Amino acid sequence: MIPIEHYYLVSAVLFAIGLAIVITRRNAVLVLMGIELMLNAANINFIAISQHAGVPGQFFALFVIVIAAAEVAVALAIIIRVYRHFKTINLDEVNEIKD
Amino acid sequence: MAADLLTPLPCSNITLLALIALMLPLLSFLLNSGAVARYAWQASIAACFFMVLSSLISMIILVHVWNGTTFHTRMTWFVLGETGHTIGLFIDNPGALMIFLVTFISLLVHLYSTQYMKDDPGYQRYFAFLGLFTFSMMGILLADNLLVIFVFWELVGFSSYLLIGHWYHQAPAARAAKKAFIVNRIGDVGFILGIAVLWAQFRTLDLETLKEAMSSSSIQGESWVTSAGIALDTRWLTFMGLGIFMGAVGKSAQFPLQVWLPDAMEGPTPVSALIHAATMVAAGVFLMCRVVVLLDMDALSVIAVTGGLTAFMGAIAALTQHDIKKVLAYSTISQLGYMLMGVGIGAPGAALFHLFTHAFFKAALFLAAGSVIYALHQYAHRHQLAFDAQDMRNMGGLRAKLPVTFIVYLVATLALVGVPMFSGFLSKDALLSASFGWSEAMASEGHRWTYIVPVFAFTTVVLTAIYMGRQVLLVFFGELRIKGPADGLKESSHMIKFVLVVLGLFSLGIVWSLDPFDYHASWFLTLMPIPASSVPGLEVFVLDTARANALDSHTVVGLISIVLVLLGFGFSWFKYRPRASYALGYQGRAGFSFLEQLSFKNWYLDPLYRRLIVNPLMSFSRAASRTEKAIIDKFIDVTGVGSVIFAHIVGWFDRAFVDGFVNFSVFFAGKVGVLAKSFQYGKIQNYIILAVLSTILIILLIL
Repeated sequence: MIPIEHYYLVSAVLFAIGLAIVITRRNAVLVLMGIELMLNAANINFIAISQHAGVPGQFFALFVIVIAAAEVAVALAIIIRVYRHFKTINLDEVNEIKD
Repeated sequence: MAADLLTPLPCSNITLLALIALMLPLLSFLLNSGAVARYAWQASIAACFFMVLSSLISMIILVHVWNGTTFHTRMTWFVLGETGHTIGLFIDNPGALMIFLVTFISLLVHLYSTQYMKDDPGYQRYFAFLGLFTFSMMGILLADNLLVIFVFWELVGFSSYLLIGHWYHQAPAARAAKKAFIVNRIGDVGFILGIAVLWAQFRTLDLETLKEAMSSSSIQGESWVTSAGIALDTRWLTFMGLGIFMGAVGKSAQFPLQVWLPDAMEGPTPVSALIHAATMVAAGVFLMCRVVVLLDMDALSVIAVTGGLTAFMGAIAALTQHDIKKVLAYSTISQLGYMLMGVGIGAPGAALFHLFTHAFFKAALFLAAGSVIYALHQYAHRHQLAFDAQDMRNMGGLRAKLPVTFIVYLVATLALVGVPMFSGFLSKDALLSASFGWSEAMASEGHRWTYIVPVFAFTTVVLTAIYMGRQVLLVFFGELRIKGPADGLKESSHMIKFVLVVLGLFSLGIVWSLDPFDYHASWFLTLMPIPASSVPGLEVFVLDTARANALDSHTVVGLISIVLVLLGFGFSWFKYRPRASYALGYQGRAGFSFLEQLSFKNWYLDPLYRRLIVNPLMSFSRAASRTEKAIIDKFIDVTGVGSVIFAHIVGWFDRAFVDGFVNFSVFFAGKVGVLAKSFQYGKIQNYIILAVLSTILIILLIL
């Protein structure tokens, strides 16, 4: 039996990698991927804890996956619109606030 | 003050007519001042027409008041606080006679002026001011209220200023106008003080009401108490009378303010006639006749003595003048002295009578003198001669050249001197008798000094005969003293002759009284109401005695005055007859004796005033102006410079501290804004970093 700490560790690493991608990448699609990673880090936590403590948490994981799928659909559509409008999906350039 | 005495009185037809007669000269003024220069002649004819209308209306009014009825219309003018001021028209016999006199003389002067002034560049202005002058004089005669009278009084002063200064581009005329105006102001100060006393005491200036109020007031101990219970020291009663008299002293040229009248000769001659006969100088006499019932014994005595003294002084000054108009001017002063003496001795009816007869014969004299001047002026113009057309030294022997003028002049002279059959005899006899009766009555009360008044009056009769005899002899008899061709000196136009003849006719005694030797038979005096004076403390019985004495003594007085006139004429024939040494040496006359100088210089009043009043006043004002410049201006300068310096300091403080503070707060707010803005610049990933960091921070805090 793998101890629970290992799951936590993987989950944390995964979340940190996702966060790092979200923060550092300039490409909107890659940022979306980072968000997916962070969601899946949370999913790992749900499932691991439900297995160890015997609480029914897998439903949450399912919900998260569904929501993530829906979110990706919406977000990709937004990115397409952004691309059409700005001719780029570089987040630094998608900016209408002027100093 | 009892309010029922001040209720508005309804308008009657007569007062309405009087209002129209009053407004016509004003209309003439407006028309003449507003007309285009091209129509100046037509406008002046319209002015004459207005005066005809006005004198016709005055005649209608005169007929209606003939039986002694009075007409009074009054309305509330304005209300100050709780006291209302009224304004209105009041017409009684003297008033109606006076408006007739003023409009009639003014009409004649208008007619005369259309000829006399016809080449004058200021023709239109002249007629406009004649209208204004007549209007203001009518205002004095018709007003029922001292305040309104004062307003018109000032208007008369102002319009006389305009007319005397008609030739304002000549320095003497401008100076004379200014002098007349200023000297009149001095008198007006007294007038307004008198009005102020009456107002303080009675709270009204309506003359009819004042008469009632005056008779219901009384003297209690040292104070003068009205029926309403207002008390003043009794001296104010005398002060009031003297104050109003002071106004008359200025307007009617009495001692010591008579100095303006001779100088006023600088105006056009018809204006002199108007001023001397009917308008300006008559205003003072008329006013005194209106207010005589408000005067107490002391004020009356002062008036009598001043009048007598002025009559004497004016006559003396007239003895040696060379200017034909100046002789007449001093003669006017003298005759005005008679009139005010008449007011002072309680015979205002006789004073007004003399005012009337004097108005006609003096207008005749002035306009005849104007005719002489005009003729000589034309003569000088025709032959390119340069001489003063007003100087009697250049005249002489005009009898043959100007027959109509001569006859009118002679008739008017005889009237002025007081020869029986002529108008002046009647009125002067009335005044002389009254003065004699008055001093007798006063002497029986212990005031022996009052004999000085008839002494002055009788002396003046002799003097009048001398100076008028001198003038007629020097102007109309002998040979023409100016060297020049014999032809070209001729009588003026028919219009001037017509006016002269009309005035000459009015100088005949028969016009004024059917019995030319007895003034009691005169219709004029029977029209004059005997003033029912009821001033508290006035010894009415003295005035009654005076009147009775005058009745008794009038035959003697008449005879004495005839003798005095003959004496005067005899003296002047002896001294000034043609081919006597005086007349022969007259043209180059120089080397005056002191007495002659005294007369010629009008008692040295002008130099005296210059030394006593004008010069101290001038040096005082110069000193004041120096003080102003040296001290007050300097003080103000220092204050000004100090304020500027202080302002600079304040300005610096403002810039450095107040503005600094404001600028700093703005700067600070700006910086804070920039700082706050720096979190919000659209970098979505930075937002995420911040959100994550904050979440971690919150988690840390919670744990």
